[in-house]
Amino acid sequence: MSTPVIFDPMTLPSDDNVNAYTFCVELKGSQWFLQKGKMIAYYGRIDFNGIGHGRLDRLVRTSFHSPLHASDWVVAEGSGKMLLADRAFDVNSYDLDEGNLTIRAGNLLAYQPSLALKQSIVPGFLTLIGTGTFVAASNGPVVFMEPPLRVDPQALVGWADCPSPCHHYDHGYLSGVLGGLRSLTGLGGVSGEEHQFEFVGAGTVLLQSTETLMPEQFAGTVPNEPGVPGAGPAGSGHGGPGAGQGGMGGVPRLPGQLGDLQRRFGL
Amino acid sequence: MPFREVNSKMVEATLTPGQRMFSQRGAMLAYRGEVTFTPNLTGGQGGVMSMIGRRVANEAAPLMTVEGSGTVMFGHGGHHIQVIELSGDTLCVEADRLLAFDGTLTQGTLFLGSQGGVMGMVRGQVTGQGLFTTTLQGHGAVAVMAHGGMIELPITPGRPVHVDPQAYVAHHGDVRNKLSTALGWRDMVGRGSGEAFQLELSGSGAVYVQASEEKL
Amino acid sequence: MGGPGAGGPTGSGVPFRRAAGYLRAVATFRLQGSKVLAVDLTGDTVKAKNGSMVAYDGQMAFKKLSGGGEGLRGMVTRRLTGEQMTMMEAKGQGTCFLADRASEINLVALHGDTLYVEASNLLCADGGLRTGTSFTGLRGGASGNGLFTTTLEGSGQAAIMSDGPAVVLRVSPQYPLSVDPGAYIAHQGRLQQSFQSGVTFRTFLGEGGGEAFQIRFEGDGLVYVQPSERNTVAGDV
Repeated sequence: MSTPVIFDPMTLPSDDNVNAYTFCVELKGSQWFLQKGKMIAYYGRIDFNGIGHGRLDRLVRTSFHSPLHASDWVVAEGSGKMLLADRAFDVNSYDLDEGNLTIRAGNLLAYQPSLALKQSIVPGFLTLIGTGTFVAASNGPVVFMEPPLRVDPQALVGWADCPSPCHHYDHGYLSGVLGGLRSLTGLGGVSGEEHQFEFVGAGTVLLQSTETLMPEQFAGTVPNEPGVPGAGPAGSGHGGPGAGQGGMGGVPRLPGQLGDLQRRFGL
Repeated sequence: MPFREVNSKMVEATLTPGQRMFSQRGAMLAYRGEVTFTPNLTGGQGGVMSMIGRRVANEAAPLMTVEGSGTVMFGHGGHHIQVIELSGDTLCVEADRLLAFDGTLTQGTLFLGSQGGVMGMVRGQVTGQGLFTTTLQGHGAVAVMAHGGMIELPITPGRPVHVDPQAYVAHHGDVRNKLSTALGWRDMVGRGSGEAFQLELSGSGAVYVQASEEKL
Repeated sequence: MGGPGAGGPTGSGVPFRRAAGYLRAVATFRLQGSKVLAVDLTGDTVKAKNGSMVAYDGQMAFKKLSGGGEGLRGMVTRRLTGEQMTMMEAKGQGTCFLADRASEINLVALHGDTLYVEASNLLCADGGLRTGTSFTGLRGGASGNGLFTTTLEGSGQAAIMSDGPAVVLRVSPQYPLSVDPGAYIAHQGRLQQSFQSGVTFRTFLGEGGGEAFQIRFEGDGLVYVQPSERNTVAGDV
């Protein structure tokens, strides 16, 4: 029998993984932003303060730019070691050095205040800018890939430096004899792969192995003004709290596609 | 073509022109190059009748054909993936556990009733996965999904292995299956222990068991 | 990662232990990967969670056990206590493979002390361990796991389940530990638990939640936490 490793405050790693699913952050009078409910245990004296707490106003002003998303985050402050985990998904830390990385809002667990968190133009995603460390979860280890690449929307964790994430539709599917037949009768069904996110240019794309999304995190609404994607008429835009699919909300339904029902029957 | 295991939940396949493979619909995670994904009107091989046959048989695994040249990453639902190499023998696998497989493999359905008689039919009822199992034969690779990873248990003559039908994933080799009961009827009424039915596999080969009683 | 026969009765390899005054064979617990537990039995018994057997070879018999006794009355008792542990007893010669909903399995060795574990997280225990139920007070109510916890007492091995591999944390007088109720799965040793409020300030935007409060462990012992905040791995039914 292999005896399990027993950790105490001395043996826990500092700002490193305890195992693939648990990350340990050491606080020495410093601060970390933390998504609510992701702290599983801690040693030492650590205070958790909601964002909006008066004392933290200055910190929030420099590092937190997602105002309507604030209720999901707390600031951990003090000294000690705390363990972070998220639904038994793989957890990893990423270091940014004067860089930028955009990540699905639900995957981000925690970050150092030296990074600035902003809402991405792409609904449902958040962008981290600056120098520092952040911790993110993924279903299965994250796979890094270089563009050019087309990615299933649900497998996308995020991307770094890529200037051009865009939608790609399988044209061959939409047109042609078979496509026409399909749109007429609904028969023949969809392969489920008619639509991808396409990345070109220099950068890195982060992938996870899942087709079932982690519960979408509300990334905050955007100001309702002309020219802002996802803003739309009040209440109906995707990325709003009611849009369960979050970042996927903007995908138009293809002709001949009956959605869930059709998929279920495998037509 | 062989699958490269990227990690425990993702495999990568390299496609060259003229080659094709089948995969479960919606299982593509990412691809590079010119690759097309066509939903199979025929649900694999064997024409429309075969598809209808499979529908009736409740062996409905929506498949798509993957063709072109490039690399494709497959994964599904965060399930663990195991690649099984076939060298001429036959693999029996529940259809909804197939993630992707070589187009060169011959696909068929096996009516388990014919193997296990009445009890074979009961087995289908118990697993809720139909009375038919997909068979794949030939030379090539199959990527199979399992909830929580799989273990491979060898079956040797004289040493049968008993498996919870819910945890059964696939088997290959010269294996006979039979449904046995380990508990009395009384225990099966009510929640039972879940161990009421067991699938007994004997012969020589291997059975793949997942670390869960959950169907996919 | 041996075959099913690898850990069978090989004679010299069978561990013996003095228990209750006589020598008896002890089931050997082996992990196959992290989610399948192989138990080698040589005529002895283990208690295992109902329905957790995924495969076995050799001769094996399963008998249903239940918490509050047999029959309807026992069922009512179990409903009342919220203790939905229904265990079965496996007895025989051979190797039994146990797994439950792809949960990670953690082995715990008991040397005369007591392990407190949420009933739904107990996969398997040595037949020689005494099982009981203890009132957990408020914590159970908070984590939604019911007010009663299963206790295992004696010497032997147990296997507990977690959603993702558990992290074992030592609590000593100078290092108390705070744990999220949803991530707690088990503890052993001499520990006192109390409640503590975590987030000291809540924004008016959110309704709190998250780290609203934690369980604080003080004393001497081990606490098992899982990298997940789902309350029960196995669910209710």
